[in-house]
Amino acid sequence: MAEIDAAGQTTREINRAIRQFIAESCKEITVRNPGARHNLAVAILNDAHIRVAGSAGYYCGGLIDGASIEIEGSAGWGVAESMLTGTVRVHGNAGSGAAAAIRAGTVVIHGDAAARLGVSMKGGLVIVAGNCGYMAGFMAQKGTLIVCGDAGEAFADSMYATVCYVGGRIANLGTDAVIAPMDPGEAEELEKTLSAHLPAALRSAKPAANDFKKVIAGRKLWNFDKREWRIWQEAL
Amino acid sequence: MCGIVGYLDKTGAEDGNIGSILLGMLNALACRGPDSAGVALFGDHQPGQLVAQVKLGDNGKGAQRTGEVRAIAEKFGAQEFTQTGAYLRFIFRETDDLKPFIAGVEGVDKDVEVVSVGRRLEIVKQVGSPARLEQTFGISAFHGKHGIGHTRLSTESVVDLSHSQPFWSHGFADLAIVHNGHITNYHQLRRRYEQRGVRFYTENDSEVVAVFLADKLRRGAELRAAMGSMIAELDGSFSCLVATDTALGFVKDTFSLKPLVFAETDRFVALATEEIAIRGAIQGDFVVREAQAKEVQVWLR
Amino acid sequence: MSELQISGIFAPRVIEEIQAKAESGLYSIRGFGTLRERRWATFDDLTFLPCTLTRIPLEGYREKCSTKTILGTRFAKKPIELDIPVMITGMSWGALSYNAKVALAKGAAAAGSSNTTGDGGMLKAERDNSRTLIYEVLPSRYGINVHHMRMADAIELTIGQGAKPGTGGLLLGSKVSDGIAEQRDLPIGVDQRSPARHPDFLGPDDMIIKVEELREATDWQVPIFIKLGASRVYDDVKLAAKAGADVIVVDGMEGGTGASPAIFQEHTGMPTLAAVCEARCALQDIGLYGAVQLIIAGGIRDGVDAAKAMALGADACYIGTASLIALNCNKPIYEDDYRAIGAAPHACHHCHTGRCPVGITTQDAELMKRLEVEQGAERVRNLLQVMTLEIQMLARACGKSDVHHLEPEDMAALTLEASAICGIPLVGTRKVFGR
Repeated sequence: MAEIDAAGQTTREINRAIRQFIAESCKEITVRNPGARHNLAVAILNDAHIRVAGSAGYYCGGLIDGASIEIEGSAGWGVAESMLTGTVRVHGNAGSGAAAAIRAGTVVIHGDAAARLGVSMKGGLVIVAGNCGYMAGFMAQKGTLIVCGDAGEAFADSMYATVCYVGGRIANLGTDAVIAPMDPGEAEELEKTLSAHLPAALRSAKPAANDFKKVIAGRKLWNFDKREWRIWQEAL
Repeated sequence: MCGIVGYLDKTGAEDGNIGSILLGMLNALACRGPDSAGVALFGDHQPGQLVAQVKLGDNGKGAQRTGEVRAIAEKFGAQEFTQTGAYLRFIFRETDDLKPFIAGVEGVDKDVEVVSVGRRLEIVKQVGSPARLEQTFGISAFHGKHGIGHTRLSTESVVDLSHSQPFWSHGFADLAIVHNGHITNYHQLRRRYEQRGVRFYTENDSEVVAVFLADKLRRGAELRAAMGSMIAELDGSFSCLVATDTALGFVKDTFSLKPLVFAETDRFVALATEEIAIRGAIQGDFVVREAQAKEVQVWLR
Repeated sequence: MSELQISGIFAPRVIEEIQAKAESGLYSIRGFGTLRERRWATFDDLTFLPCTLTRIPLEGYREKCSTKTILGTRFAKKPIELDIPVMITGMSWGALSYNAKVALAKGAAAAGSSNTTGDGGMLKAERDNSRTLIYEVLPSRYGINVHHMRMADAIELTIGQGAKPGTGGLLLGSKVSDGIAEQRDLPIGVDQRSPARHPDFLGPDDMIIKVEELREATDWQVPIFIKLGASRVYDDVKLAAKAGADVIVVDGMEGGTGASPAIFQEHTGMPTLAAVCEARCALQDIGLYGAVQLIIAGGIRDGVDAAKAMALGADACYIGTASLIALNCNKPIYEDDYRAIGAAPHACHHCHTGRCPVGITTQDAELMKRLEVEQGAERVRNLLQVMTLEIQMLARACGKSDVHHLEPEDMAALTLEASAICGIPLVGTRKVFGR
């Protein structure tokens, strides 16, 4: 277990210290007094576990491959952006673009997410225990996006093959987003996923898996030649 | 594009060290706004008086004009003159019609500009960093209940004092704004306001936010409703903080294009483009969240 | 006898376009770039003023004219060093065939130059065959992979491209093959649209933080380029410099694309000539001319265009379309196949169909076989080398022992507009107009 006191240090110095500890085979690292600095724990390419004892700024856990990052406060924009795989957990709230373009791995947000949750995600699992903001799942390609609370406007706009679930209200659906019935056994799978990733207290405060709505792409934007003018007018 | 900050003391104290808190927040955002810095601070109101900050000129040419501006200002009951940097500060007789005062003072020279007037409002802004702002004006010594601030990264207009923020809603006492983003129907709106006789002082699109709100308030809208109507009527990106002598609030655009986070406890409300600004200036155990698309909130002092 | 009169407004092509829209309810999508006649100032409106009595020209061979080009000196620990100032721009595997990407990599390497990935990520064969490889980070983030990023010699953060600034990318279904779909994490056969904006930053103030992230991810070693489609070039270049770019790429209106709505290619963006002039002014006005390198792109056809761009302030030029033409794009071979897609040699801009007769902009394995990699690589190498010789010849004639010593004052403007845009005297007048 190693500790870094981030107070008075630059992001570059902090990240260097993290890499140094990892090089010395110490893979449990806590960063104290992070002060919501940007770019903490960017591009950690191994299974280190990094605890940010406070808030992080932008891109915390961005470009990681295999690491596990835990942010005890809130996170700024683009938390876990472009992660290849790994786990990023935010105890507080997440800013816009959380889990942007992730390829795989898991992002769990205990609080609320802001706009563009999971934008362009290319795989992986994103879970928000609270609410999410505008245009979650925009152009999402693969993977699973779960919002236990309410979803903001334009939910799941212009998606490819990502599957979304929302436990609360959806302000409105995005272009080409449709509510679909769950398959037999799907609710049970959803329950397993939620229980596996959310602390029990947080899980029990949210709706039952059966009460989640499943949202997928209607596929009307998948091929350009379709003469669905109204859809394209919205989308383009 | 820039960094914006705001702070409101909720404890009931009239003499909180908001100057040093806002300065601490601005310092953390200097990287994203290296061109200019400024604050709009709300201090004590002396009954029957208004406080004015007047820019004497650009590029150091102001010094000769102090005498002339003083002479005009004294006709409006001005006293307690202090000169700092490019600014002349004084208090003068409270009035509901600022037009003669503004015309008189700005008539001295085309470079002279009334930067702010209010019962409590004082705007100081200039080219350079927050550290330089502090050096010139000693912001950290300012005491009051609330204020907003700005660090600027200029996009399409020039870098100079007048084009910096915060913007005073010219002619409307105590109303000030800071804006991060870009109003994309600025020119169209500007031409419409100019047709109705409104004067713009800069080529900076953020100025239209100040003009827009003053126009709505003059027509009888409440502050919250006026801010809400920005969402439909101003196009482009904006996270804005708006302050009057009695209120502080924020409004975010339809697509949530520019960041804005805030924290509220029973002691304070703090707002900033990035959480690092809040954590840099305020200690304590509180939660920060990002404002959502089309969200409007107003706090009264 | 009266003759038939064709309208200058509703010309035959316009009539066809309106009727096509009336039939389909869709706008036209195609590849290639600006096709309409260029009636604005271009590099053709400038001429070089070689040495005569006032200056001394250099002979060839022994009187060397250096072409070595170094990019990324501002902040990077390891700037890139190229033998020549002409580089291959980013074009996606997806828009291009696998063979095309490999041929470009090999050809650039053989010429001592660099290659760039594209909107789809890095191919192993690209890294294996490139001497210097620039990794593009685009709004779509297709194929984004931190390991590939760390294998690159430079990172190019792309805000937009000259053919279609302000919009996203497009790859029509016939080109979204199994391999492409897998690389991009998409369903097979969709008409892939890329977003217009980056997912995790919106605006130059947030971009400052993004640049720092890219530096953290690459240990502050390699140069960070910021690529802009030429629009408000003067403002954008200043902002990219303030955001910490080592190198700024400005891609002019005449730049190419594999597929995009035609209206963007024709009616958006600032022409390349004007763009390079605004870019240089912007850097001068913030005191960073020379500190931040400038790469110009957008319809560079030969060493002459490149030399003029360099004289106006570019440190290097990217070629895209020209390099594909070197690979036989628009060559009069397989002529039946051109006709089958509604084109003809010298009049083909049908990259978007995926049925490129010469195997460049296709994912069809059979068509791709027509592009033999080694031959293609040699052709690209030849083009790059000839372009370099052309630049050197012009530079020597102007008395320069280094191609980077070319200056605006080595040229004269042939037209009023070129004089006004470039700040160069108009021939016959010794005056600069419009300033």
